[in-house]
Amino acid sequence: MRKFVFFGGKGGVGKTTVSSAYAYKCANAGLRTLVVSTDPAHSTSDVFDQQFDDTPKPVDGVSGLDAMELDPEEEVSRHLQGIKRSLSTQVSPAMVNEIDRQVEMAHQTPGAYEAALFDRFVDVMRESDEYDRVVFDTSPTGGTLRLLSLPEFLEGWAERLLAKRKQSVRLFERAAIGGREPRRMREGDPVIAQLEERRDRFALAGELLREEAAFFLVVNPDELSIRETERAIGSLDDATLDVRGLVVNKLTPEPDDDENGRGARFLRDRVRTERERLKTLREEFDKPVVAEIVTRVAEVKGDLLTEVAAEMDVEVHREPVK
Amino acid sequence: MTLAERIAAFRDIAEEWLRGLYHGMISHPAYEKIENEAEDVEDAFMLACFPDAFGIPSPVSYYTAELLPYLEDEFEAWERRMWDRGSLLERKGQQYHF
Repeated sequence: MRKFVFFGGKGGVGKTTVSSAYAYKCANAGLRTLVVSTDPAHSTSDVFDQQFDDTPKPVDGVSGLDAMELDPEEEVSRHLQGIKRSLSTQVSPAMVNEIDRQVEMAHQTPGAYEAALFDRFVDVMRESDEYDRVVFDTSPTGGTLRLLSLPEFLEGWAERLLAKRKQSVRLFERAAIGGREPRRMREGDPVIAQLEERRDRFALAGELLREEAAFFLVVNPDELSIRETERAIGSLDDATLDVRGLVVNKLTPEPDDDENGRGARFLRDRVRTERERLKTLREEFDKPVVAEIVTRVAEVKGDLLTEVAAEMDVEVHREPVK
Repeated sequence: MTLAERIAAFRDIAEEWLRGLYHGMISHPAYEKIENEAEDVEDAFMLACFPDAFGIPSPVSYYTAELLPYLEDEFEAWERRMWDRGSLLERKGQQYHF
């Protein structure tokens, strides 16, 4: 298994349970493991009955397991404050208000939240030297998974902006005929430096995700979830990301043969339908079903987590990076 | 006023005129053209960075906002140019002083 493991899927399918269980399994196998939750609901805290925040903290009672919860909202405001600080040092008071408006606007665009999240992902991946395995519990917004397939797009975009900027600076330098001071200089241009840094960051993110990350999709045995998964696999495949398999969660337990009450009949019917769905999953998808997890009576915590972890047939040991 | 001085004075005047003519007919239009072109490229760059200034939402403006502290002059000039740009023809025609 690769170093970074992502669990994605529709809201409510049980990504947190599955990713916590997998992280638990890795830690028990002796790997230094970090589980990262990006879900605004932050159910990781519920699974381990412990509060986590933006910095990795050891999970009580499990050796070798740390957990953290990313908060994109906070990241957005941090980013905003950072820009405002450099505005006040760089820009004349007359222009500050004008530019401030633009900065505020940029942090309220629909994509700001995702962009911040992406930045945090990359930070966590870059600073994960002390861990053998990092497990991501991605937020249910389809945005997160889509976002992870975007580094190439963003890299190309930064590249194009860079080319434009270089072109205009070059023209300004040429226009400075006969010892005039050019309006812009290539030498030490902060805009070019900033864009280059961004481009390299995107390039690195793309490389890490393609070379060192494996993806699993959590599915419930219902029509909606299956269709959604199909789409998600499509977009991940298009981005040449490595989708390793499907984790089927929330399967209905089968009643004993001698039970024939109303409840048992219902369960039996339900199980039959789900079998059909599982068959669909096995036949239509070219990804293996790596785990079938039956619904539990209570929230998955403590001992139940151990059980679920045992039911997952996802390999743990590190594979060498190609 | 010797003849030599008169010749020198005439040459000064001629030189000034020639320099003026050269500047007005050749070098100024040349760098004006290049500078205009540079401004146009810069405008395209700025519009690609900040389309939301004109009401076009952009998913990447979160990242481009990081450039704003360094784009003060550009930003001001760009907004001014964008708002009072009548048409491309007018913009490109500015170099011909009718």
